[in-house]
Amino acid sequence: MSFAPKTQAFNAKINAVTLGTGDKAVVLGGQNVLPFYSFDAAIENAPKIGVEITDTAKEWTAPGLTEFYAGCETMADFAKKAETMEGADFLVLHFESADPNGANRSVEDCVADAKAVAEAVTMPIAIMGCKNVEKDSELFAKISEALQGKNIVVLSAREENYKTVGASAALAYGQKVGAETADDINLAKQLNIMMKGVGVAADSIVMNIGTAAVGYGYEYVASTLDRVRAAALAQSDADLQMPIIAPVSADTWGVKESVATEEDAPEWGNQEERAIGMEISTAAANLTGGADAVIMRHPAAIATIKKFITELV
Amino acid sequence: MALKGLDIFKLSPKKNCKECGCPTCMAFCMKVAQGALELSKCPYFAPDAVAKLSEATAPPMKTLEFGTGANAHKLGGETVLFRHEKTLVNQNLFAATLCSCMTPEEIDAKIAEIKKVDYERIGARMYVEALFCSYVGNGVDKYVELVKKAVAADRAIILECWDVEAAKAALEVCKDQKPILDGCTLENWEAMNAVATEAGVTLGLYAENLSDLHDLVEKLEAAGNKNLVLDCTGKTAKETLANAVLVRRTALKDGDRSFGYPSIVNLARIAKGDSRLQTAYATMFVEKYGSIIVMENMSYAQALPLYGLRQNIFTDPQKPMKVEATIYPINGADENAPCCLTVDFALTYFLVSGELERSNCPVNLLITDASGMSVLTAWAAGKLSSSSIKKFFEENDIENKIKSRTLIIPGKVAVMKGEIQEKLPNWHVVVGPLEAVQLPKYIKDKEYAGAVEAAKAEAAARAAAATPAEEVKELSFEELLETKVPKIEVVDMGVRYKGHNPEAKTFVTIGERIHCISPAIRKAMDERDPAPILKRAAEQIAAGATYLDVNIGPAEKDGPERMMWAVKLLQENFNNVPLALDTANKKAIEAGIKVYNRSNGKPIVNSADAGSRISYIDLAAANDAICIALCSADGIAKDNEERMKHCHNMLERGLSLGMTSDDLWFDPLFLVVKGMQDKQMDVLNAIKLFADEGLKSTGGLSNNSNGAPKNVRPIMDSALVAMAMMQGLTSAIVNPCDLRLMETIKSCDIFKDHVLYSDSYLDL
Repeated sequence: MSFAPKTQAFNAKINAVTLGTGDKAVVLGGQNVLPFYSFDAAIENAPKIGVEITDTAKEWTAPGLTEFYAGCETMADFAKKAETMEGADFLVLHFESADPNGANRSVEDCVADAKAVAEAVTMPIAIMGCKNVEKDSELFAKISEALQGKNIVVLSAREENYKTVGASAALAYGQKVGAETADDINLAKQLNIMMKGVGVAADSIVMNIGTAAVGYGYEYVASTLDRVRAAALAQSDADLQMPIIAPVSADTWGVKESVATEEDAPEWGNQEERAIGMEISTAAANLTGGADAVIMRHPAAIATIKKFITELV
Repeated sequence: MALKGLDIFKLSPKKNCKECGCPTCMAFCMKVAQGALELSKCPYFAPDAVAKLSEATAPPMKTLEFGTGANAHKLGGETVLFRHEKTLVNQNLFAATLCSCMTPEEIDAKIAEIKKVDYERIGARMYVEALFCSYVGNGVDKYVELVKKAVAADRAIILECWDVEAAKAALEVCKDQKPILDGCTLENWEAMNAVATEAGVTLGLYAENLSDLHDLVEKLEAAGNKNLVLDCTGKTAKETLANAVLVRRTALKDGDRSFGYPSIVNLARIAKGDSRLQTAYATMFVEKYGSIIVMENMSYAQALPLYGLRQNIFTDPQKPMKVEATIYPINGADENAPCCLTVDFALTYFLVSGELERSNCPVNLLITDASGMSVLTAWAAGKLSSSSIKKFFEENDIENKIKSRTLIIPGKVAVMKGEIQEKLPNWHVVVGPLEAVQLPKYIKDKEYAGAVEAAKAEAAARAAAATPAEEVKELSFEELLETKVPKIEVVDMGVRYKGHNPEAKTFVTIGERIHCISPAIRKAMDERDPAPILKRAAEQIAAGATYLDVNIGPAEKDGPERMMWAVKLLQENFNNVPLALDTANKKAIEAGIKVYNRSNGKPIVNSADAGSRISYIDLAAANDAICIALCSADGIAKDNEERMKHCHNMLERGLSLGMTSDDLWFDPLFLVVKGMQDKQMDVLNAIKLFADEGLKSTGGLSNNSNGAPKNVRPIMDSALVAMAMMQGLTSAIVNPCDLRLMETIKSCDIFKDHVLYSDSYLDL
C-alpha cells in the first residue's frame, strides 16, 4: 500500500495586514495553514522580522551591537543603520524611557525622534511604548498624528486603553493597532471584539497574545499560540484571525542567561553568544507557534532567524 | 500503556452481577486495565468483544525505551498533537555527534566538551542524553574504537551506521547499553533487522521519502519487529519538518499505526557547521515532534534556551509547575539580607524573583512548599499556613543559615502575620506589598523598615511582659465547648429552614456563601461575630438552599472551637439546617460533628480527595457523615480514566470502612471555561460515569464561570447545571441567591420527575 499523506489546509485564513508604504511595505499574515506547514498549502507571506531600536540603545553593551551601530548618535542614526541589517523587514522604535516610573521622557521628545526616523528611512515603522497605560495612550496618539500616511503600527493597546488608542491611532490617523493580552485566549478574542466595537477595522488590528523568554513560563505562550491558531483556522473564528507580532528581544535581553556576565557564570561561556541563543530560540519558538512577525535586536540572531524563515517557507 | 478501563467498560456486559467479586462492571474493568484481574474472570464478555479489545485499544504511538541504568530513556507514547489537548508525555532527548572520521584525541576532547553541559534546572538534570555515533565507512576498527569511547562516556548511545558488518561489530561492544541502531533502509533492511533483533536493540529506519518509509515500516512489522524509530531527517529543514509533522499527524490523527513510532531529526546534517541555526531548528523540533534531536554539539548558549524551552513545553498543563522549596539568594544576598517569603508555584517564583532582581538589592527569597499553588489558593486550601512555614524553616535550618530576622510575607496573606509571628518568635514578620511589581520600590526604599522596628518593639514588649509559660494542656471537645465557645443567642431573622428529607431524590444545593475567602466572613469568624454569618445564612435559606457549607478557613489554631461555634450558631438559629463542614483542619470537622444535630440530614465532610486528603474518608466513616470525594490526587485529573481510578480508590476505601455508597458524593472537579473550555465535556461525561454506577455526585459548579462578567455567570451556571443534571448530577455547591440557577434546578427536577409538577412549582 502506497502512503499518501492527508493535507490539512483550512477554508479560513489569517488576515493579511500591510505595514508601511511603497516598495518596502510588508504584509503580515494571509496563510491558511499552520505555521510553516507548506506541505499542506503554500505559505502566503513569509513571517517578517522587525529590528528593535530602543531610545536607550546607546547604552547597549553587547559587542556585536555596539560594533554594528558604531558612530550612531540619534535614534534616526540607529534606524538608518538598522535598515541595512541582513534580514530586517521593518523597524521598531521602542520608547522605553517614556515610562513615568523611569526616565519619564516627554512625549514631545519621543515624537521628535519618531519624526526624524520617519524622514530618514523607508522601511515600515512600528512603535513600542513603555507599558504605562496613560503615557502610551498619549504617546501613540501623538506619534500616529505626526507620522500620518506612513501606515505605522502602535504596540500595543491593552484592555485599559484600547478605546483611546483605537480611536486615535486607527480611526483618526489611519494607522494599525496592536492588541495586547497576556496568555489569555478568551481576553485576546474579547479585546479584538471591543476594538472592532469602537470602529477599528479587523484588518487594522494585529495581536500580541503574550510573551516570555523560553524557559520562563513559555509553555503558556506556546499553548496560547496553538489555541489561537486552532480557533482562527479550524473554527474560522474571525475575532482571532489577526496576525501576531511577538516582541521577542524585550524579554530575552533581560533574563539571567543574557544578563549574567562571564565573571558571574564562568561555566556558561561567552555572554553575548548566550544572549543571541536566547533571542534565536525564543524567536524560533514564536514563529513555530504562529507569530507572523518577531521583533529582535542582535544582527547575528536576526540573520539566523532570517535564514530559518527562508529555509522553511 | 495497556488497555484503558473505560474502553473495556464500553464493551462490557454492564450487568453489575457481582459474580466476579467486584461491586460493578466499571470497577471490574478498571481492575482489568490495571492488570489486577483477568478479563476471563467475567463469563459474560462476548468473544468478539474480547478480540476487538486487544486490537482496538493498542495505543496510537508506541513507547520505546533505550539505554540502561541512569542512561535509560523513554521515547514516544504521545496521544495528542498539542500540549493543551491533554499533555505531552515523553520529552525530546538531545544527542551530540561523534564520528568515526575523528581522531581518538578529537573524540576525547569532544566528549569532554559535551560533558561540560550538565546542570540542574527546576529539579531536573540538564545534559546531553545521548551520543550519536556516525560511521562514515572508513574502517570497522575505527568505528569500534569510537563506540568504545562512547560507552565509557556514560551516555545513551545511538549508532548511525548503514553498514551491516560495522553495525555488528559496534553492537558487540555496546549492545548491553541498549543503543539505537539507526541505519535500516529499503536496501539493507533484512540484514539490519537480523542484526538489531539478534542484539535486542531498537532499529532506526530511513528512506528517501515518506511513502518509502511507510513501506519500510510495513516490511519490518511483517517480519515481526515493532521496536523501531523513524529517522525523519530530510535533505532540507523544510522536508524534515514535513516528515516529522506528517509522521506524527498520520499516527495520532489518522490512526495509521505504521507511523506510530518515535522520530529522529538530525540537525547536524541539515545545518552543518551553523550552531545558531541548529538552535533555531532544535527549538522548532522541541515543539514539533522530534523525539530525538541530534545536534553537532551542545554549548551552554544552546543548552540554556533549549533545555528551558523543553522543560516548559513538557510540563503537564493540568499540573502546576513547582520549584524547589529552599532559599534562593537574589542579587548576591548573604546571611544578613532580609527575607521575602512566597509559594513554590513556578510562575509566582519567576515573577517574584524577577522583580526582586530588578530591585538590585540583596534579598533572600524563601520558597515554601505549597503544592505548586498560588498564594491565595494555597492559603485557602491550608497548604500555606503558619505550620507549613514553621516546618519549612525547621527543615531548611533557616534560623542558622540566615542572620537577618526580617521576614516579609505576601500582602495577600496579611491575615497570617499574627500566627506566623507566634510560630517564629525570633523573627520580625512584616506584611509586604500585594503585587510583585511593587517589590522593587518596596525593597529599594526599604519600605519594610518601619514595620520591622514596630515588630522589634512588640517583641521586646512581649519579652518584658512574659510570664513563665503555663503548661498548655489539650482540652477535650467538651471542655472546649464549655470554655471557648460563646453561648449562642437565637435571633429572629424572619426565615425558617423548611426541613429536608434525606431520602428525597430532589437535587441537593449546598450554599457556598459562608466562606472564609470573603473578608467579611473571615472577620466575623475571627471575632465570633454572629451577625454577618447569620445574614448570609438567612439569605441562602430563603433562596432555597438544602445544605449550607461552612468554610472556617485553614483555622490552624482554634479550629475546633470555631467550628463548634459556627455549627451551633447556624443550627440553633435555623431549625437544624444541615451543614457541610469545610476546612483543612480535621480536628475542627470532628468537633463540629460532635455538636451537630442530624434531624435534617447527616453532616457533610468537605472534602476528601484521592491524594493527601484521602483520610477525610476515614473521618467521615468514623463519624457517620457524608463525604464529598474529589476525584483528583495532586492537581486536576488528566482524563476520565484517571478520574474514575480516583473514584474507585475512594469508593473502595469508604466501603471497606463501613460507609454506604450513598454517603460518598463524588466531585469531578468543575473547571473554569476561561482556560479549560475544551475540558468541559470531560467533566460532564465523568458525571455520567458516576451515575451509571449509581453513585451520587456534587461539585463547585459555578467554578465554570469564574472570571466571566457578573451578568453572564448565572446564564452559564444555569446551562451547565441543566446539562449536568441530565448526566445525573445529584448535588452541587452553588450560590443559592442566584435566582436563575435555582429556577433552572427546580425545573430540571420537574423534568426528571423528582417533584410533581404544579403551576406554582417555582415558588415551592
